[in-house]
Amino acid sequence: MSTTLIDGLKERISSSIAMYESVGIVLPGTNYPDLLQALFGCVKEKPNDRWVYITATRPFDNFMKLFGDVSQYPNVTFIDCISRSSGIVRTDEQCIYIESPTMLEKITMEASNLLTQTPEGAEKYLILDSLTTLMIYNDPTLVTEFFYQLLNKARSEEVHAISLVVEEGELDKYINKLIYLNDKIIKVRDSFI
Amino acid sequence: MADKCETGIKELDAQMDGGFPAGSTILIAGSSGSGKTTLCMQFLVNGAKKGEKGVFFTITEPLFKLMGNLEKFEFFDKSLVENGLITIIDLRIIFERMGLDSERYTVEDASALLDVIKDIAKELDVKRLVIDSITALCYRLQTKEMIRDFIFKLGTFLAAKECTTFLTSEIPPKTFSFSQYGIEEFISDGILFLGDVDRGGDLIRTLQIVKMRGVSHSRAKYAMSISSRGVELAPLLKMR
Repeated sequence: MSTTLIDGLKERISSSIAMYESVGIVLPGTNYPDLLQALFGCVKEKPNDRWVYITATRPFDNFMKLFGDVSQYPNVTFIDCISRSSGIVRTDEQCIYIESPTMLEKITMEASNLLTQTPEGAEKYLILDSLTTLMIYNDPTLVTEFFYQLLNKARSEEVHAISLVVEEGELDKYINKLIYLNDKIIKVRDSFI
Repeated sequence: MADKCETGIKELDAQMDGGFPAGSTILIAGSSGSGKTTLCMQFLVNGAKKGEKGVFFTITEPLFKLMGNLEKFEFFDKSLVENGLITIIDLRIIFERMGLDSERYTVEDASALLDVIKDIAKELDVKRLVIDSITALCYRLQTKEMIRDFIFKLGTFLAAKECTTFLTSEIPPKTFSFSQYGIEEFISDGILFLGDVDRGGDLIRTLQIVKMRGVSHSRAKYAMSISSRGVELAPLLKMR
């Protein structure tokens, strides 16, 4: 994994999220680990800000393995929508487990509740990982409505939203429409980084 | 405009422009596990935290089990019970003490029970009252007329005291009805329907205000979550 790649990506995310309220990131599956490193680089750079990471792609214990110890990122709380439905049962201080990725409203409630605990003056960030995975478990029209609601709520509560789309061949027509609801889209290509 | 009785569940209060009309009798209809008892307790606890006394009459659950379940919620504060702001009464003990242990009540039995509930409400000076469940109580009343008379008299007495009352109503799963006896909903001022929707085999709890006299209210279906924080609501995503 190249540091230059990750730094380049981190720079693009940081500058985009500073300028826009919502950023969509479209990336090939092969670059997913790089993106995680870049995103958590951003989290580390803003230790006084509040981050909520919704994961439907990888279980929380995968993040533990990837980063060794997530307590080095005390300003981020995970909402794990995938562990319980995969039969992984555990409890962690930095993670809220949702029974199933079909419980979209519950995701909104938990994210909203976590973000209301943000200290005054701190910026709020919400990462949705990923629209592609949510489409696997849900009817596309539901995910569309969920994403509309999430973005609207984020905008009204001054939360910066970052949503991920993992590109495998042609983009699903629903995702293709959804991703353009963001104020800014970053398309990750090996050649661009 | 009548005074409002806030539940303290902000999304629910917002649907009624601030809360239930104070003194109204609300039917909380739902099947087993739909969240009726939790919703009622949260309503009592949030009232007690503002200094409004409340009483919870249980017929379906022994006190130790009820208390054990409540202690798991962050909103619950045991001192509210210890300080008398919330009183929890097992109605079955009252039935026994009054010799009302028969399966079917006479008109006199029903009247005696009604007087006891009214006396307790008056004595404790409560502003919030819950009967969990009205279905179990109505089971002992022999006719629809007795059920109507009982709820009507109780509701009228409590309304005069500006005491807001929640009556839980047990209904079979997957049915859009509000009561077992078909009477309770017509005497109540409001109906909250707790149901669920199936999404890929997972059950999403829902809450809908079906009726609420004296207040303009939303009739939209909300997704309801029960966590350690208690009941929370979010707009339900619609399948087209």
